[in-house]
Amino acid sequence: MIRRAQPWLGTLVEISVEDTAGQDAVTRAFAEVARLHGLMSFHDGASDVARINRALPGDVVRVDAATWEVLRLALEIADLSGGAFDVACAPWLVERQVLPSPAPDLAYPAPRMSAAVLALEEQGLVVKRAAGWIDLGGIAKGYIVDAAVAVLEQAGATGGCVNAGGDLRAFGTMQVPVAIRAPGAPGHAARHIMLCDAALATSGSYFSAREHEGAVVSALLDARDGRPLVSSTSVSVQAPRCAVADALTKVVLATGDCTHPALAAFGATAFLIRDP
Amino acid sequence: MRYVPLIVLGACAVTAPVFATQYLSPEQAQKLMFPEADAFRAQPLTLDTAQMRQVEQLAGLPARSNQWRVVGAYKGGTLLGYMVLDDVIGKFELISYAVGLNPDASVRQVEILAYRESHGGEIRLPAWRKQFAGKSAKSGDLRIGAGINNISGATLSCTHVTDGVRRIAAIAQVALAR
Repeated sequence: MIRRAQPWLGTLVEISVEDTAGQDAVTRAFAEVARLHGLMSFHDGASDVARINRALPGDVVRVDAATWEVLRLALEIADLSGGAFDVACAPWLVERQVLPSPAPDLAYPAPRMSAAVLALEEQGLVVKRAAGWIDLGGIAKGYIVDAAVAVLEQAGATGGCVNAGGDLRAFGTMQVPVAIRAPGAPGHAARHIMLCDAALATSGSYFSAREHEGAVVSALLDARDGRPLVSSTSVSVQAPRCAVADALTKVVLATGDCTHPALAAFGATAFLIRDP
Repeated sequence: MRYVPLIVLGACAVTAPVFATQYLSPEQAQKLMFPEADAFRAQPLTLDTAQMRQVEQLAGLPARSNQWRVVGAYKGGTLLGYMVLDDVIGKFELISYAVGLNPDASVRQVEILAYRESHGGEIRLPAWRKQFAGKSAKSGDLRIGAGINNISGATLSCTHVTDGVRRIAAIAQVALAR
């Protein structure tokens, strides 16, 4: 088996494929990861996301087809989840210093629903409707995993796995053993599952929780009211696509509902792991 | 009966730590970074005080060490670039990685060589390095993939690696660029 890892998306992205796929296929998949990282980064001032965030109400921003597709999916999941997942939650994360301000000289915009902040026009065009900041941190990792899988399959890989810091997808014929971290003891596996031709994403606050101005904050929040999600529970979602699995973990974490209708809408299932 | 403790020790050595992966040997990484090279030469680098100060200014990070493991890649005597080897220790993880650089010091590629987590236990760098000394992924001492799980969980940040890459890019600019 070929197994490589590179630092992207603020974490390690790991690609495993059968030997017959060849190193070139893996190199090409990493190149696509790098390209999409550049487009969807909150930190990189030249990214599509940064350009949307700096745009003024009324501006039209042309973005890459991939960014447009992620936004389309994000708006759909925001709608289906009643706003529990929403990419326009970034002002809260900036306020809590989880993310740096995209415009340090300006006042923070009020957190609004993403549908109020932006509208998608024809392929590739994004209209900024109101002041607001978006962060694709809750969905882009999964989307980029899917994109890497597509490159590997196109290159002829018959089976493998792409794992972006815990959001992963097994493709083709390969049976992939997956260990799910125990939220209370992340160095140990709480559960082992076998994944085949499916994606699995897990969210929990055990690595990102920290104190800010006397309160505990994390990179995870309920986008309906900004409430930080800090608990000893982790949520795992299995779905056909990793982008969907990634975003839906936040819906289940915010609502505590493992049978949330948004899951069924995407053919996904969820389970919680509680710290014993 | 007197063999039992040995067996127990052996089992522990195999099973611990839980989350660890060996991806590439340095030799495999250099071939991936410079497939056209016909020679690789170890060129250990020692920074002087002035260079260390320059590195800190450029990277905005402590230079950390004056000794660096550098390999030059050549084709027919012409320099193609360098690979710099490094390890970083995070709160829970120890990561060995390699940075491929062009002769002008721009970063060409970053590959993770090995990854290991430790929660609660102290990670000691010399012990970590020793476990890979003289071993390559090909030799069979360390099997890639076999029996190693993928991990799903909250995202562990790799800030230490990205900082490390920035530091090495600065070192290359100060001491290697042509």
